[in-house]
Amino acid sequence: MERKEVIRKFLQTLLAHKSDAQPFADDGSLFLSGRLQSVDAVALAVFLEEKFGLDFAEMGFDQERLDTVNDIASLIEESSNSRQ
Amino acid sequence: MNTTDLQRDEPQSAAPAPRPFSFLRGFRIIPRLETYPWVVAFAQTIAGKATILALFGLGLYYATWLHYLHNPRWKVQICFLVVVTALPQYRRIVLVLGTVCWAFGIWWQWAEHPQIVQAAISLVLAAAIFFLAIRFRTSWFGRRPVATLLTGFALTVLLASYLPKGGTLRTMSFDFLPVFGAYLWFLAYSLIDISSRKRDSVSLQVGAYQPIWGSSGTPFPKGSAYLRRIEAKTPEQLAVAQLKGLKLLAWSIILDLFLNFVYMPLVHGYLGIPYYEFVFHLSLLRTPFKWYVGWESLIADFLGKLVDFSIFGHRIIAVCRMAGFLALRNTWRPLSSPSIAEFWNRFYYYFKELLVDCFFYPAFLRYFKTWGRWRLFASTVAAAGFGNAFFHFFRDLNYIDELGFWRALAGFQSYIFYTIVLSVGIGISQMRQQKADKKNPGWIRARLISPLCVGGFFCLLRIFDYTYKRYPISESFRFLAHLFNLVS
Repeated sequence: MERKEVIRKFLQTLLAHKSDAQPFADDGSLFLSGRLQSVDAVALAVFLEEKFGLDFAEMGFDQERLDTVNDIASLIEESSNSRQ
Repeated sequence: MNTTDLQRDEPQSAAPAPRPFSFLRGFRIIPRLETYPWVVAFAQTIAGKATILALFGLGLYYATWLHYLHNPRWKVQICFLVVVTALPQYRRIVLVLGTVCWAFGIWWQWAEHPQIVQAAISLVLAAAIFFLAIRFRTSWFGRRPVATLLTGFALTVLLASYLPKGGTLRTMSFDFLPVFGAYLWFLAYSLIDISSRKRDSVSLQVGAYQPIWGSSGTPFPKGSAYLRRIEAKTPEQLAVAQLKGLKLLAWSIILDLFLNFVYMPLVHGYLGIPYYEFVFHLSLLRTPFKWYVGWESLIADFLGKLVDFSIFGHRIIAVCRMAGFLALRNTWRPLSSPSIAEFWNRFYYYFKELLVDCFFYPAFLRYFKTWGRWRLFASTVAAAGFGNAFFHFFRDLNYIDELGFWRALAGFQSYIFYTIVLSVGIGISQMRQQKADKKNPGWIRARLISPLCVGGFFCLLRIFDYTYKRYPISESFRFLAHLFNLVS
């Protein structure tokens, strides 16, 4: 499955827990708009750690960089580049 | 920690379940002006801006007059709002200038003991720490700037408490440390911002330090990075932010009128329920009183403080929104919270966010990585327990000066107990919530039973929620026992 698709599916699950079924674009804000919150950021961080091997202890945690699907995809890209 | 922030202003969740009295759901005391296209269009015109500013200025004046206050703060704020509305392209610069003027007021003009020199030194020191964290980004300090800052501050306070009482050095230390402490958490947010891709310069960071819209030791609304993200980018966004600011101020005035002209006279006058402090002192003096009087006074105090605290937060956020920053409310319907974690999130949002940013994330992402299913719980206890106690202990430095470090810590026992129970409660609530998310609890449970239990938990916990040495924790337990008629 395409990387962005995997991210989108996970974010949809987070939103579904809040009865939020509204669609979101790849560049649509999720945290700054208030649709997702700090505890969701934690769930997302765990997901990214487990699924894509990101290490936030090393790279630092900035919620702004997890705000959209595109942001998350570029963060994963950046992380995998730095590991190579 | 678990609410949709969006719901703080405008519930947009899809497919709400049918519920009793759903026809009342759409009713609002203050209409949602920001959703009317013609109002938003008008708010973007010069006449519209002038009208909103005039109404807001009137509201600020009335809110001040309501409490017989004769300070010029509202005038300073409205002047700032006029300038920032006229020059939206220079909003952050105007904010910095406004905040500097505000600092002059709070540390010099409006202060009983002027400390403007200490404030200036604090800002210079904050700027130096910010520069050093950037300069030595790969050092221990650069990688853990907030932890180093907080540890350094705590150690400095500990050392200062060992200086001889009455000596010049001690007096100077305890003149300076509370002022720097007032900027401590603002600086912490700046240090978090150094890892951002588009971090603000130190001069813009200063605009968020004890900003002109008002604040406490808790940064409202968070730091410079957050302001950058929520700033209105278009005239339409500015119009919406200002309309929401005006509405929030109006709501705070309605709450103020309700609290002072309906709630207090009704509860303490007509119903004759004594003040909580009074009943607590009866318990201290071993004067008998009926158990239900204890409950009445505690519940009345809890509800009154809830409204009072909402007013405090709404006033600050209203001015912030008027300045063009669409910040979330500090307090949003805490009494309808279905869980302990959510109540805490809804009651004092910006304090919760501070603890999340400074304690929870570092603990969760760095220190408790291998804790498996207890990772969330341990990080929550680190934030709501340790972080909460740390914040309050190092906020009230006058007690450390007066009693010495260790005696002040011993006198802090009740609040430490409060933070332990609170953090364990939030931790369990979060773990339960993760499971509960999968099934629908039903309307009665979600809207009635759970909020009542949550409210009851926080109401009882209030007995232990005081941060300075007034009486030993045993007296709080005695009052608690009194509520259940276990002591006379």
